[in-house]
Amino acid sequence: MPSVILAVDDSASMRQMVRFTLESAGYEVVQAADGVEALDYAKAGNADLVLTDVNMPRMDGLTLVRELRNLNNYKGIPILVLTTEAGQDTKMQGKQAGATGWIVKPFNPEQLLATIQRVL
Amino acid sequence: MLPNANENSSANSAAAPPTNWSPQQQTARLLALCEAQMEAATQDSDHAVDTLVNSFSDLMSLVRELSIESNSNHTDTQTIKFASEEEMKQRYLKLSRQVNNAIVAFQFYDKLSQRLGHVRYSLSTLALFICDRMNSQKPEHWDKLITTLGRLYRTAEERAIFDSIASSLTIATTGEKQKPLSQGTSPEGSIELF
Repeated sequence: MPSVILAVDDSASMRQMVRFTLESAGYEVVQAADGVEALDYAKAGNADLVLTDVNMPRMDGLTLVRELRNLNNYKGIPILVLTTEAGQDTKMQGKQAGATGWIVKPFNPEQLLATIQRVL
Repeated sequence: MLPNANENSSANSAAAPPTNWSPQQQTARLLALCEAQMEAATQDSDHAVDTLVNSFSDLMSLVRELSIESNSNHTDTQTIKFASEEEMKQRYLKLSRQVNNAIVAFQFYDKLSQRLGHVRYSLSTLALFICDRMNSQKPEHWDKLITTLGRLYRTAEERAIFDSIASSLTIATTGEKQKPLSQGTSPEGSIELF
């Protein structure tokens, strides 16, 4: 069975690029447009990895990471942050929130897939 | 011991802004910052669109070659040459590379929207600020405004532009240059595992 990746981004074009990249490598992709939508999915279903943006309406990515880490079935799964945020301060906030890694946009498809393989 | 240059400058200039300081000049500089951010975002987008055009042009050429090949007679020696394993591998690699380049370039739209959103917010905040005559006459309030707007610019490119202009904006009350925001930023595409 393919691993399920929850891709969270408020930009539809970004979600499409992520979906295209991951599905071409054989992953199953579930999409969410913000933290609230992602958390709703996470409470009802399981993902093997979460890939989330930071700046989103309703619930930002760092809050989502914290919320996911409070759910029993998401305590140990990899959560990668994919964002334009390049500052060390924000990156450290991500680490403290419980993120597994930080990727600065734009992502390179081959590097993204290699990173996902490494943390899964 | 002589006092630190910054401390000295800070103490002396807290109440007296430089003689060339004026709200109009500050407004002009902030507008220049917005213009620089928009120009850089547009240039980066142009570059991404060029990459997309090149990628699609190469993809179309490959599709055309494959189409000609699939419609040709298989006993044709040219077809046999094209169908060699090495040739196919090279084509696959070329296709793959162009698709990857296109995926990276397509992400320009997300970044462009974000950068223009920051400029839009800066302009509307500046408009409100200068309409408040009490606030806009006080250098220290300008410094607060600039610090607030500086927090908006979070991508490496935005920070670099802000830093290059901010030094001329924030000397009004403290005499101290702002710590460059671009220090400690990660380059595009960088990956760090914690």
